[in-house]
Amino acid sequence: MKHTRTVSILLAALLLSALLLAGCTQQQQQAQPQDVKIGAVVSLTGVGSNVGKHMKQSAEMAVSEINAKGGVFVRAYNKKLPITLIVADDETKPDSGVKAVTKLTSEDNVDILVGGWSSAVTVATLGVVAEKKVPYVVTGASTPDVTRKAGVDTSYMFHYCPTTAMYGEYTILFTDHVIRPAINAKFNFTEDRPLRLAILYQDSAYGKGVLNGVVNTINAENLKIEIVSNQSFKTGDADFRTALTAIKAAKPDVIYAAAFPAEQSQIVVQARRDVNLNTIILAVETNDNPDYYKGIARFGEYSILESRFSPFTAAPSSVAAADARFKADYMAKYGSFPDMMGVSTYEGVYVAAQAIENAGTLDKAAVRDALAQLRMPQIVEAIKGGFITFSPDYREVQFELFMTQLIWDEQAGECRPKIVWPDTVKEKDFVLPVWYEPGSAP
Amino acid sequence: MALDFGILLQVLFWGLYAGCIYILLATGLSLIFGVMKIVNFAHGELLMLGAYITATVFVLTGINPYSIIILTMLVLGIIGIAIERLGFRPILGTSKLNEIFLSLGLIYVIQNAAALIWGDERQVLTSPYQTVTIPMGPIQLPVDYIIIIIVTALILVGLTLLLKKTSLGKAIRATSQNRKGAMIVGINVERMDMITFGIGAGLAGAAGTLWVVSGQVFNPYIGSLPAIKAFAIIILGGLGSIPGAIIGGLIYGIAENGAAYFLGGVWKDAISFLILIVVLIFRPTGLFGESGE
Repeated sequence: MKHTRTVSILLAALLLSALLLAGCTQQQQQAQPQDVKIGAVVSLTGVGSNVGKHMKQSAEMAVSEINAKGGVFVRAYNKKLPITLIVADDETKPDSGVKAVTKLTSEDNVDILVGGWSSAVTVATLGVVAEKKVPYVVTGASTPDVTRKAGVDTSYMFHYCPTTAMYGEYTILFTDHVIRPAINAKFNFTEDRPLRLAILYQDSAYGKGVLNGVVNTINAENLKIEIVSNQSFKTGDADFRTALTAIKAAKPDVIYAAAFPAEQSQIVVQARRDVNLNTIILAVETNDNPDYYKGIARFGEYSILESRFSPFTAAPSSVAAADARFKADYMAKYGSFPDMMGVSTYEGVYVAAQAIENAGTLDKAAVRDALAQLRMPQIVEAIKGGFITFSPDYREVQFELFMTQLIWDEQAGECRPKIVWPDTVKEKDFVLPVWYEPGSAP
Repeated sequence: MALDFGILLQVLFWGLYAGCIYILLATGLSLIFGVMKIVNFAHGELLMLGAYITATVFVLTGINPYSIIILTMLVLGIIGIAIERLGFRPILGTSKLNEIFLSLGLIYVIQNAAALIWGDERQVLTSPYQTVTIPMGPIQLPVDYIIIIIVTALILVGLTLLLKKTSLGKAIRATSQNRKGAMIVGINVERMDMITFGIGAGLAGAAGTLWVVSGQVFNPYIGSLPAIKAFAIIILGGLGSIPGAIIGGLIYGIAENGAAYFLGGVWKDAISFLILIVVLIFRPTGLFGESGE
């Protein structure tokens, strides 16, 4: 009996020791993570799949480059930790985006999020991010709501791409400063003739954001631009002929379309081929994607594309060498040209890594603070002032933008962009094609 | 908004073109429903398969994509027969729920199979006549759309001749009108089911070819919305009625484009269903439907 009792006590002690040891090991494991987990939110399916592919590949490229150098130095552990990239597909749908971010933050327990392309999808995830308090470097979604939406805590959201307000304003200023004078000069219109602008926008946070950016700029700058047609379409639409026919009836001088690449290429083709709109079509930067150049074929010739990174050209700047190197590395790794959203996501991974290194810990609040105070040299894309910093009010980054005009390239068998604005970086002058027809007489 | 005749003509033409795709899809669906009394929710996926088969053959051979329509219809006909034999026949006459869940399941099976084979990126095909237009009064009509309208008309004429003038067509119609009566007079109704399903799938395949040739974007998920609209069209036209499907398809195509022009693009899809609701209030059996169907 006594023997049994002794054995029982010994067993209990052994069990207690084992539990304590397990607890210690677990605590040690918690204290010593094996890696830095970065969650990439990308659209691998749905209307954004051609962009999502580039975002995923670019993020993977950044991770492999950082890991090749040993990973991210985390001061709290006094060592470099490799990055593990966990990719989640938001299917370019708001509900699937919420699922993707919930999985990354709850099941995968990522330390930081990178990516997010569709504005509608990214805005839908704001609640999850606010609840989980995981820093999120948004590299694609351009609605200002990403960091400015009222009624939800957006303090963990960091906007690493221009907003719809920024590029809406930039494109309209280009239209006023360059296209309007060119039309007036060619057709002997008076200086005070208002330019006739038609807008075709996606009925989403992104499309409405662009529309607001345009309207606000015209009003704020008191520009001689009149919006003569204002058409919307549903995300994923492929038939724009009737909307374009309505636009044609309004006799526009130029059309500004706010669409995703798969939509925008159809808009350009249907406008020029089917509806016979002999006008200049302006596109948003998200279309600076290799598939877009393929999709528009020759119909995109002389159209305008606002940009900050193009697969086929680069503005002369201090990051021109980095731009060329990124393109060469991407081509070597994936056998294709990169796109703009891809390069943002590539940089987003570096931004995330730098913030963790600056924070010296994986504590999410500390990483958030490090992002807010970040000041790191520009990487591939040119940033105003040369340093990546998030604005103190809405955590937005100011990129150097430029306008390109697409010119047919016989050798490539596709259009290629030439920078036409601003004057400091332009490769050629903007031209009105011979087939161009203005909307109406003065 | 100025009501210019040329502009209205153009909107009408876009409606006719859109109507062609709907007509082919809805006619096949209506034919299948008329004979078998089943609702195949995966009918739009057959259009999607038709689009991919056309694109694949075009890319591999470079032959005129319009000539691929016959091959596409044949391949889809065989796929349709396989679906009927292996899927619907074993459960025919059991519960309607079985038929519904089978066709819903087929949507995912076909979509995922297509994604595995071709990937799920959005693709576009360039027609050899992409740049050719024909002046017609005040408007320039792309030759591709004129061909599409002619091809659709030819297919419908062929289908009508098949159903009205051949013994096979008469047997199909007999099965559609009275299944038991058809059996009594010696018609093999199961064979009619199989052939009808094959024809319906072939028509969806033709719609897929025209979808691709007209330069519309395609991926494995394009079939869902056209299928929903095709259902609405056959309800509007009258369940099982081929003329109803044709008229309904035209109404939808023109109404959608008219709504997009006069009300804005976001009304494009909604207007079709508004028309359906209005028609069903005043004529619950649809435009060409008979009571009791």
